[in-house]
Amino acid sequence: MTSTLPAEPLTAEKVTSNPARTVRRGRRPGWIYILILALTAFFIGPFIWLVLAALKTPGEWTSVQINILPAAAQWNNFVEALTEMDFTAYTMNSLFLATIYSVLITLSSAVVGFGFARLRAPGKKAMFVVLMSTMMLPNILTLLPTYVMFSQVGLINTYWPWVLWGLATSPFMVFLFRQFFTTLPRELEDAAIIDGAGWGRIFFSIFLPLSRPVLLTSFLLSFTWSWSDYIAPAIFLDLDRTTLAVAITAWYQDPAGNVIPTVQAAAAVLYILPVLLIFFVFQRYFIRSSVGSGIKG
Amino acid sequence: MARKWTRYPKKAFYAFTAPWAIGFILLTALPLVYGFLVSLTNFDGSSPRWKWVGLRNYVELMSDGDAWAALVRTLGFAALVVPLSVAGSLGLAVIINRRLIAVGLWRTVFFLPSVVPVVAMAIMWKLVFNKDAGILNVTLRALGLDSVGWLVDPTVFWALVVVMLWGLGGGMVIMLAALQGVPPELEEAAIVDGAGKWSVFRHVTVPMISPIIFFQGITGVIVALQVLVQPLLLTNATGLTGVGTVPQSNRLYMIEVYQEFFLNNRFGYGSAMLWVYFLAILGLTLVLLKTTRSFVYYEVDTDPAPKEAAR
Repeated sequence: MTSTLPAEPLTAEKVTSNPARTVRRGRRPGWIYILILALTAFFIGPFIWLVLAALKTPGEWTSVQINILPAAAQWNNFVEALTEMDFTAYTMNSLFLATIYSVLITLSSAVVGFGFARLRAPGKKAMFVVLMSTMMLPNILTLLPTYVMFSQVGLINTYWPWVLWGLATSPFMVFLFRQFFTTLPRELEDAAIIDGAGWGRIFFSIFLPLSRPVLLTSFLLSFTWSWSDYIAPAIFLDLDRTTLAVAITAWYQDPAGNVIPTVQAAAAVLYILPVLLIFFVFQRYFIRSSVGSGIKG
Repeated sequence: MARKWTRYPKKAFYAFTAPWAIGFILLTALPLVYGFLVSLTNFDGSSPRWKWVGLRNYVELMSDGDAWAALVRTLGFAALVVPLSVAGSLGLAVIINRRLIAVGLWRTVFFLPSVVPVVAMAIMWKLVFNKDAGILNVTLRALGLDSVGWLVDPTVFWALVVVMLWGLGGGMVIMLAALQGVPPELEEAAIVDGAGKWSVFRHVTVPMISPIIFFQGITGVIVALQVLVQPLLLTNATGLTGVGTVPQSNRLYMIEVYQEFFLNNRFGYGSAMLWVYFLAILGLTLVLLKTTRSFVYYEVDTDPAPKEAAR
């Protein structure tokens, strides 16, 4: 594993000596790069095709002739995407909901995660089991009855559901915060307890500031969740109050009611740009959180 | 004793966990109970003249051919997608775990699709699968073959499977962490003993990471069973009523539920469908948890029987 250089000259001889053969075979890598290129085409191809579609004229897009590249980049598609519907208003809706939701859910989950990590009371174990099981509960099963319930009390077509969901914490985020707070040493709180500080003050002045990386992870994740969510705004909000995610599927039609694919593609490019930006800047936070969710410990 | 009592007052724990507890009661437990009550009515979402119908919705569901067909289709879909995505994400992780040129770049490339919003994902893949102008058919025509209508019955089912597999990267990252947690001594010892590369992977690596594989499988099943948005958005229709245009091959169980709610306005019947599904998923999860426990390796497990099975 450690010596890379001698591996190459040894290969030919080692092929004949049976037991060690497999150790060295990994050093002939050609095929793996071919595989990686094929996988890259699969994972990145749709992005490229989307951008190309966003730069074509409708005629170029539908023509029977093969046009991989547009003759001239049609930046006008983006102008149309921005002006055909009130793109700014929908963006503001998305931004507003995502911000409210992610700030609330991050703070509430931090508080609850701290409770499960550092405090004790009868029933804690049972509550934690319930919390972990709700992580497995399919969202959609509660979303539809919630819709019926909220329609009875006039919460449909308002942004209140997002506030409530934010305040109610997310089991996943609670788990993330609990894992972090459990690792901190007890000495952190000892001095404060001797000084007579309550747990509220200990949390806000000592633990919360320490949890900055988890706060950021939780904020980024819940922000992109909300920005990406289709089903909740589609069900709970009317078209004039809805988010960008729903709007780009509902507008961009020709008079006959057919979607104009080139303009919709341009809108989709604009819509995913913030997500991609967040992803590229904070990639390690995304990776760390999904790893944390998979490995329980 | 007194000191311990002051250190952890019960009130503090209940106060800190209250947001979750109240949220769970009001936004998870209550909707489930409320949904059950609605399932005993003929509520249509708007008119105030609804009445109790008892278990009639459930009786009707038992003989609802569409719902049963959708259930079978959904189980088939899960049976196909879950093993493929677990094996696929493990495969990607194995590739990324090797010493490669620009390994960070490939990891990003494989992981990227899993963060793309579902709406954008659907728009992209509709462009790829487009009958006239999609890259797939453009390629087929360049090779002198006929175009294929990807987004119609029955191929649209395979299109959906491909779209689901596109987001493998999320699982890959988890598998990668699991692979890196396997102590290298174990694999090296097996190699010294003369084990081939495949048998090291099969008999050392896979058993060591089996809890993660199992966890990924369970979450994968739950995700696959609640798939709704992807088939909904792969149609050309827009808005909530577009559910009626989902092709037959993609009419998964949640699509049928959604249709009862938002196209047929049968909230009572839709809720009954949800409740039956809830119980079915719960049962399936428990069965999976029970059966897989016998062949999953847990490091902390003191019971000798499962370990033997893992070897």
